[in-house]
Amino acid sequence: MSNVENNNEYSIIFSGVKKAYGKTVVIENLNLEIKKGERLILLGPSGCGKTTTLRMIAGFEEITSGDLFMDGEQVNDLPPGERNIAMVFQSYALFPHMTVWENITFGLQLQKLPKDEIAKRAKEAMEILHLEGYENKKTHELSGGQKQRVALCRALVKQSPYFLLDEPLSNLDAKLRQKARTELVKLHEMFKPTMVYVTHDQIEAMTVAHRIAVMNQGRIQQIDTPYNIYHHPANTFVAGFIGSPAMNILEAQVLNKCLVIGQSAVKLPQSLREQIAAREKVYFGLRPEACTPAFGDAMIKGKVDFVENTGNLQTATLRLADGASLYVQDSHQDAHLEECTGVDFAWENVCLFDAETGVNLELGGK
Amino acid sequence: MKTNLASWRDEWGYHLLLLIAVFLMLWPIVFMLSTSLKDLNQVFESTLNPLPFPPTFDNYTNVLENFPLLTYIWNTFYIAIIVTLSKALTSVLAAFGFVYYDFKYKETIFNGMLLTFFIPITVLIMPNYLLMAKLGLLDTPYGVMLPSLVDGMGVFLMRQTMRGIPKPLLEAAILDGATPWQILRKVVLPLIKPSVLAISILFFINSWNEYFWPLLILQDKSNLTLPLALQMFISAEGGSEWGVAMAVATLTSLPPLVLYGFCQKFIINTFMQAGVKG
Amino acid sequence: MSKNSFQAALYLLPAGLLFLVFFYWPLLQNAYLSLFSWNMVSPNMKFVGAENFSVIFASPELWKILLNTVLFVVIMLVLNFVLPYIYSFILGHVVTRWSSFYRSALFLPSTLSLAVASILFLWIYNPLAGPLQIILSWFSLESPRWFKEDYLVIFAICTIIGWKVFGYNMIVMLAAMVAVPKELIEAAKLENASNWTIFRKIILPMTSSTAIYVFTITVVFGLQYVLVPVNMLTQGGPDQGSSNLVYIIYQYAFTFFQTGRSAAYAVITMVCYLLFLFVKNKYLEKKVYYEN
Repeated sequence: MSNVENNNEYSIIFSGVKKAYGKTVVIENLNLEIKKGERLILLGPSGCGKTTTLRMIAGFEEITSGDLFMDGEQVNDLPPGERNIAMVFQSYALFPHMTVWENITFGLQLQKLPKDEIAKRAKEAMEILHLEGYENKKTHELSGGQKQRVALCRALVKQSPYFLLDEPLSNLDAKLRQKARTELVKLHEMFKPTMVYVTHDQIEAMTVAHRIAVMNQGRIQQIDTPYNIYHHPANTFVAGFIGSPAMNILEAQVLNKCLVIGQSAVKLPQSLREQIAAREKVYFGLRPEACTPAFGDAMIKGKVDFVENTGNLQTATLRLADGASLYVQDSHQDAHLEECTGVDFAWENVCLFDAETGVNLELGGK
Repeated sequence: MKTNLASWRDEWGYHLLLLIAVFLMLWPIVFMLSTSLKDLNQVFESTLNPLPFPPTFDNYTNVLENFPLLTYIWNTFYIAIIVTLSKALTSVLAAFGFVYYDFKYKETIFNGMLLTFFIPITVLIMPNYLLMAKLGLLDTPYGVMLPSLVDGMGVFLMRQTMRGIPKPLLEAAILDGATPWQILRKVVLPLIKPSVLAISILFFINSWNEYFWPLLILQDKSNLTLPLALQMFISAEGGSEWGVAMAVATLTSLPPLVLYGFCQKFIINTFMQAGVKG
Repeated sequence: MSKNSFQAALYLLPAGLLFLVFFYWPLLQNAYLSLFSWNMVSPNMKFVGAENFSVIFASPELWKILLNTVLFVVIMLVLNFVLPYIYSFILGHVVTRWSSFYRSALFLPSTLSLAVASILFLWIYNPLAGPLQIILSWFSLESPRWFKEDYLVIFAICTIIGWKVFGYNMIVMLAAMVAVPKELIEAAKLENASNWTIFRKIILPMTSSTAIYVFTITVVFGLQYVLVPVNMLTQGGPDQGSSNLVYIIYQYAFTFFQTGRSAAYAVITMVCYLLFLFVKNKYLEKKVYYEN
């Protein structure tokens, strides 16, 4: 048992963690520090290692090498039951042979808590989650939303300092999901456990998280606040994964203080020229909503292929001279996007990435 | 949409085939029942008539008076119930060991257990007989029970059923600090109760019907089980005891038939599971 | 889930121990006993090496027994594998009504004791006064002595097993039949496929894994089921005409009291069984369509 630091009460720290199944390495070298009381979201496409990471915290997956610290203690070999963790499963994992009340109090009964303490805690939690009156219902009598709340409730009564959630909202329909999201945040604000939340839904991540860890192929691509993840993506993967439609990422040649994008040359401001340094080629990233449709002269010229109208927004696909396509989003309903001839943009909205590593040039590009 | 009539026209041939099969399957049972209710004359005079008239219970009273039938019923029941409980218990425990734990040679050990299901009984009887003789258990119900206390198919079926439990349910219990024993008792067992019950019914019926191994172990007339008692009526082949023999056969068949009648769906479902390979 | 092998061993122990003592130890003991000449009671066991085996392989009896075994297997495959297969298809995919009645009725005999079945058929097949004899006499046919004639005895015994096992095997097959998605069959019907085509092109490949299981239990258990009627009705007769690889072990041990010969037959039979299971796993299972 080694102590790391003093101020790491109820924090979770991965230090050089590797996870492999036989010869297949799922996670190569994970370094991650989750602060006490924060809401950290693990976000990524399926198979990126986010669930494995969560299950390592719970103790369901063995750590191949490296260290996992919780509350300052190395817990690699601590059995799941002794980690004092509450977890909400994607399938909710409610015991079908028990009533709501029995489900909620199951863990407390195992801990042999006094009866009145169990009843007090369960009542409180059920009140918070609006489950009063459902005590004696069997789980199959509940709706999806109710099941999800029972699962939350079961985690809540444990009053544990760690709160793990594995895609807890993915079985709800869109409308319920939005409501559940808000409730989840409120719930966290009440008790402030250290919360680790796995999802593949970026909206969920953006709205719930204090910090998001974007993962891909077993590596953390970026870990930062939702704002920074959106506006300063660390690399092309994060840029392309966050936002819908995704950020436009176009190949651009550097020529004579200019950037050539789809045969349109735009003059580079001084600050960006410094970022680019001696590179001859970069990736040019621009979010669709940062594009201003131009009618007449435009910074990047192109022809409109297709316009989609979703009521509040119009999205146009622009075909550039070199064949690349560019998404443009516009909230002016009266604009005739079919007729636009290209887009204008402001340089502060542009992200430039290294052509080889894909790393954002703001970060030095290495 | 097919009309009812049209579906009849298409299907009657198949129904005929099925009805023939049903007749062949049920007729011997009907025949057994009716013969057991016939007196000696009727047995030979109206052999094929399924309705004994007038029905007589002479055969049954005859059996009850001349044979220790209640003893046979008790012997059979006693063996069957202990065998059933033990098979169910050992199967559930072993299956849990296979499902909940990871260890070396797991598959090999499992296959080793399953393989026992396919070993022909006569390959085992002589060594087991010698063992029972050494233990002094010949001609006792314990000698009959002992080699039947486990069942390879039981382990297989219980493992199949437990594998069907969603993993998160077990994980949720683990996170709550439940020990494996608590998980087995409070989560796994309640969930697989129907399957345990169904397979127990099968174990019971099979043990009740068992003939070969008890035949070797049990000698004394007062120790016999019902299927063995049937043997006594065969020595009278060609004789006149058919009504009595059918009465004993009926009594032997009654418990399985009644169990089947009540738990038909259960039993059929378990049998159906048995065929689904894992 | 848990890697605590000590705990795992505790759960496996009761079953494992019983399996070792009553299933695996006997196999070893057979191998040992097969090297001796002994009558089960005498204190002297004479070591004879492989003599028991060489005598068996030189005797015409072995070939007769093998031929009987093959005959038993072939007839039982028809009654307990082919027929249940066809009937389960009819029940699962052809008829639209009464199927639960058929299912229950056809399954009924499976719950009865083979001892009961044996005594029932002994009466049914009785050549002097039995019901079958009466039916045959309507057509002015004389009833053969079913259990006393070569080959006929094997057929008669197989019908007993067939009666008892048909329903069980059919139910197992039916489970696989109804697991075939209805959409597939409906799609085929839209193409105007006949029942026969549906059976061949859809059902056959999609139920093959269960079919192999039923095939296996028909062979493996069929020969064991046969023990009961053979022992009750014929004792292997006439002149070993109804004995087989499984029954002969019992005969040598408990009728002829030749322990060594019995053990040697047990070894041979076990090897045959293992060979069968091995061949089945190696060649049959490979051609099978598995859903997952």
